Amino acid sequence: MAFGIIFKRAVRDFRQNFVTHLMTTLVVGLTCLIFVFFSLFSFNLQQVVERFGRQLAIIVYLKKDVSQESIPAVYQKIAGLEGIESVKFVSSEEAFKRLEKFFKDEEEVLQGVDPLFLPPSFEVQINRAVYHLDRIKKIASELSKWPEVDKVQYGRAWVDRLEAFSRVVRGAVMASGIILLLTAAFVVSNTIKLTVYARQEEIEIMRLVGGTSGFIQGPFLLAAFFQGTIGSSAAILLSFFAYRYILGMLDYTGLVRSLSLQFLPFSYIALFVLASGLFCVAGTALALRRFLRL
Amino acid sequence: MISVDHPIIELKEVVKKYSPDIMALENIELQIPKGEFVFLTGPSGSGKSTLLRMLYCAEQPSSGTVTIDGMDLSSLSLSQVPQLRRKVGVIFQDFKLLYNKTVFENVALSLEVLGLKRSQLEKRVKQVIEGVGLGDKMYRKAVQLSGGEQQRVAIARAVVNRPPIILADEPTGNLDRQRTREVVALMNELNARGATIIFATHDETLFEHSHRRLLLLEKGRLKRS
Repeated sequence: MAFGIIFKRAVRDFRQNFVTHLMTTLVVGLTCLIFVFFSLFSFNLQQVVERFGRQLAIIVYLKKDVSQESIPAVYQKIAGLEGIESVKFVSSEEAFKRLEKFFKDEEEVLQGVDPLFLPPSFEVQINRAVYHLDRIKKIASELSKWPEVDKVQYGRAWVDRLEAFSRVVRGAVMASGIILLLTAAFVVSNTIKLTVYARQEEIEIMRLVGGTSGFIQGPFLLAAFFQGTIGSSAAILLSFFAYRYILGMLDYTGLVRSLSLQFLPFSYIALFVLASGLFCVAGTALALRRFLRL
Repeated sequence: MISVDHPIIELKEVVKKYSPDIMALENIELQIPKGEFVFLTGPSGSGKSTLLRMLYCAEQPSSGTVTIDGMDLSSLSLSQVPQLRRKVGVIFQDFKLLYNKTVFENVALSLEVLGLKRSQLEKRVKQVIEGVGLGDKMYRKAVQLSGGEQQRVAIARAVVNRPPIILADEPTGNLDRQRTREVVALMNELNARGATIIFATHDETLFEHSHRRLLLLEKGRLKRS
């Protein structure tokens, strides 16, 4: 069956049943709008968490009895680990100098203290390209097992809390996404069923005069694809303009600037629009199935 | 014209039962050669429509075989059913028209399903509509036509793709004498062009003086063939 004929019939049908198609597209659009809003929130939260995490370094404290000669070997071992961007050695003296600088207004605090009482350490930065919260944990855990290492710190409490929060938000977005998808499936499938019911006679006649399933289903499926893609594109456009408008209103606040919010990436948008189209096609195919039996 | 050797329609030991125990057709044996025009008659509920529905694959027999042009209908896959239906033009008792569409659109549907473009089908559709005497009402909606005119649209739709078999289920049931004669004449003309026709009717005046074969169904049994 030529695609051109199916396309023409779909366009003709779209014109003849414009209001029904418009209502279905609106329902799809509104459902997508809610989903885009949640996705936008989740995406930016994830970005913030990752950006914050990237600023964290791993501090590797060495045992006091580690000899000076073995330090270059430890340095090489850390630098050789996968995903390490930079390693900086901080001797006991340098650590003491930093402490002195910190207490520069209360010098008496450090009076009489041995300049070597602080352990030597390494400050390790993780490569941003391979950055992941799990990665920090893994590297820290590995380092803590080395015989030269006394203790490893990486702002664990913060990272854990952020990670937990991010996980909760991701879960909430996924759960709401599933509920929205089910709601959309129900609404779209019912709207399409109503359209199909209204045209049940036409479908029956097409079957009786020898119309193939492709001929009968084609225009419905094509219309459903248009509804899905147009509805989701409209939702994306609307949320983009709303995002820009709200961002413009809040731009003067330092907090918003420091969060450096972003809109959803193009690849996500393309996938979302395509998935919406295919989702509507699948819903329509299911609704049509019972009308195409003998 | 009639080929006795190769029946285009053949029913062997066909039985149709509906649950719980309604016997719609009982042990039907029938052969219709290519090019024959037969009348199918019998009282209401005798099984005329059920028999016709089997011939265009809207029903399957409970047992027995139905063969159309060499195809055993029980072995047809879902994708082969449309191919069969393109060989069988059906005129329904209740017309089955799309009432919000024009006469042209209704008739063109039979050719659209074949994948013909509008430019290709336009000439043939117009010709057939003029042939049934509705040339001046081509772009009227079916709902605006009289019962007789609607019947003629249904006939035009059934014959526009030149099917070798035409099944007419009470095609004159809603028509007056004059229109009935016109429909019968149209059927005779189609038969003269080579179509095999089964004309189901309970109007005895249509076949009492006819030389055509008569199939009489009573309580699901074929009494005369």
